[in-house]
Amino acid sequence: MTRLILRLLNAPFLILIVAIGIALQSSLFCTWPLIYLQPDVILPVVVWCALKRNFDEGGIITLIIANMGEIHSAAPSGIFLLSYMIVYLLVRAASRYFVIQSLISFAVVTLISSAGWTLIGQLILYLLGISASQWKHTLTFMLLGACIEGVFSIWAFKWLEKFDWSTFKNLRAEQAMEDELQLNNEGF
Amino acid sequence: MIKYLKQYRFYIVLFLFILIPVIAIDTSTRAPREYRFYDRVIVGLTSPIQSAISWTLEQITSSYENYIYLWHTHKDNIALLEENRKLLNSIAGLRETQQENIRLHKLLKFEEKFTLQSVVARVIAKDISSEFRSIRINRGESSGIHQNMAVVTDEGIVGRVLRTTRSTSDVVTVLDLLSAVDAIVERSRARGVVEGLTDDTCQMKYTLRTDDIQPGDNLISSGLGGIFAKGMNVGTVSKVNRKPFGITQDVEVRPSVDFTKLEEVLVVLNGDWE
Repeated sequence: MTRLILRLLNAPFLILIVAIGIALQSSLFCTWPLIYLQPDVILPVVVWCALKRNFDEGGIITLIIANMGEIHSAAPSGIFLLSYMIVYLLVRAASRYFVIQSLISFAVVTLISSAGWTLIGQLILYLLGISASQWKHTLTFMLLGACIEGVFSIWAFKWLEKFDWSTFKNLRAEQAMEDELQLNNEGF
Repeated sequence: MIKYLKQYRFYIVLFLFILIPVIAIDTSTRAPREYRFYDRVIVGLTSPIQSAISWTLEQITSSYENYIYLWHTHKDNIALLEENRKLLNSIAGLRETQQENIRLHKLLKFEEKFTLQSVVARVIAKDISSEFRSIRINRGESSGIHQNMAVVTDEGIVGRVLRTTRSTSDVVTVLDLLSAVDAIVERSRARGVVEGLTDDTCQMKYTLRTDDIQPGDNLISSGLGGIFAKGMNVGTVSKVNRKPFGITQDVEVRPSVDFTKLEEVLVVLNGDWE
């Protein structure tokens, strides 16, 4: 029973942790030159959801945490929602064609996603007619940001794996739980 | 019907996942949305953490700069070190107070110059995205702050209030690409709109190619728009690119406020120009 409750609480806890992560990101990295080194807390979670959650749950979590990001930014309404959702869908599509198994491959996906997210954001802004002249600045810091994101994601994914294991959300923990429930039903 | 819903469930969910963000994008106005109830819950959760971290960092930086840095120079004399530690600790506190006093004094003089009714606020966090450049301050609706109030320092214009909660406010700075301040060149009275460009530069748009604008020219607010008082410093022209064709010229502006060292700001509740 406790395991089932923990499993149900996985998503709310994950959202809560992201909220705390955003608070840490926005205040720890607010001084110059640390502002250029700040990792995006939301992106690794979006990638994780794309690779480790079912389509509906991952999508809903992505929308919620993207909205949390939006209220901590001056970004126009919907920009983060759309750009994170596109990243989510692309990573999900990529996982059907490529073998993304190890943490390192997760990190590579996050690195590419980071660059992709920046470009998608710029494209949306361009289409809205907002940031016609900011692309040079964006491109200058895009690679640095992606590298930082890649390095940060290794640590983030290790932590998320532990988190999923402790809340019985990953496949092995699920299997172990089901085996135990079956044994209980059979009277062992 | 249910059979079809089940059959096309994936496509329906996919459609919804794309539709929700698209609906959220408000293309008709550039004004951002207000906080909703659940947004306020999230900000209520994150802003105390941001305040705590900001305060801790300030204390650590202060200690490092005023105490630990000097510790190695006195390691030979343990007895003196003890005494020195205590003294330096007191000095660090006093120096911090003195620096704060100087900054607040400058703000007060500035407030008197423009006859402003304002509140002093401390910067507690910055934007999570490097594309947008807003800051969060530790004063909100309970201090009388509302949307679109001007935020300034003695150096010049910082930005305007984007949205508020009871205890915090988000300020969109002049460096943000959504910011627009109507400005005039102090020397030639040429007019334009200053918008954010990068982390330390803005651009002045809609200036005619024939306008007399030179690097080093000072820009002041024109008072149009009703947010900023006329005559407040906006920045200095750093680069002018006048093409041989077209009707406008490219003007780069360095803001008068040093955003890398921004700690306290004044939120203008009302001024005599209103």
